[in-house]
Amino acid sequence: MNDNSKFDALIARARGEQPPRVDVADRVIGILSGQDARFEPAWDRPLMWVAALSSAVAIPAVVAAVLVYQVWTDPLFELTKAISWVMQ
Amino acid sequence: MGSATLLDLLRDLSSNVYPAGPPLGSLAWSLALGEDPPMPTDLDIEEVHRSRQGDSDAYQCLIKRYQGHVSKIMWRFSRDRRVHEELVQDVFVEAYMSIHSYRQKAPFSHWLAKIATRVGYRYWRQQARRRRTKTFSLEEWDQLPDEPVATMDPSRAGELVHRLLAQLRPRDRLVLTLRYLEGCDVTETARRTGWTKSMVKVQTMRARNRLEKLLARIPGEAEE
Repeated sequence: MNDNSKFDALIARARGEQPPRVDVADRVIGILSGQDARFEPAWDRPLMWVAALSSAVAIPAVVAAVLVYQVWTDPLFELTKAISWVMQ
Repeated sequence: MGSATLLDLLRDLSSNVYPAGPPLGSLAWSLALGEDPPMPTDLDIEEVHRSRQGDSDAYQCLIKRYQGHVSKIMWRFSRDRRVHEELVQDVFVEAYMSIHSYRQKAPFSHWLAKIATRVGYRYWRQQARRRRTKTFSLEEWDQLPDEPVATMDPSRAGELVHRLLAQLRPRDRLVLTLRYLEGCDVTETARRTGWTKSMVKVQTMRARNRLEKLLARIPGEAEE
């Protein structure tokens, strides 16, 4: 058997080889989720909606709290007023 | 010669070249025989469409369906299990990044095979630059017994072929791998590499000559 025939026979055997089994699905999705903001894992979506709703409720509540705090009298106002009167 | 006779001749020729049927992706073969060219399945089209819209579940289904196919291709490019897995992973990441360019005129597996070839070839070129190729001992080649090659374990045969072809330049290695190991015809090799058909034919001939010279132990010829 010459080199060419030997090579061809070897190739013919090698073509029947089975590759090792791989499972890259989760890793690929993980990489893509990190790279592409549009590519969110499906299980994240309900959490995303809950977070969005919470934010929508929380923002007006914070704004209202700041406004109310400014309108209400400072709890220490009376005390500081008395001290400043004494010092005068 | 009538068209029926010509078709018969083409059928005979193809059955001689591909006794087990044509390789995947031989679009020209199907067209020449008047058969419908392979088309993507409805499920693939649906999942590609959903993947484009950012549906990770759909893309995960595509990965699970085709990772065996890609794994088989990438095993020709690296036999290191860790590297092989990374290459398979890279193929699917690159495929997603360019999924908008998939025009659904050929099966999804053909489109993936083209990306896999590109990723594998790039890996070989990086390895060649770093000179991290295992050398193949010609004594090992000589020690190959004549008879048992036909009954040799396919993994051992694959390992030997891989190491032997690794002595060639990446371009020669690629064309020989696609033509002989993957069983691609000229058209499919051209499609996967992005070369012209003439270039594939010339490159195959040159690579085969270099391989013969390597086996004939002419020093320096293989790396011309």
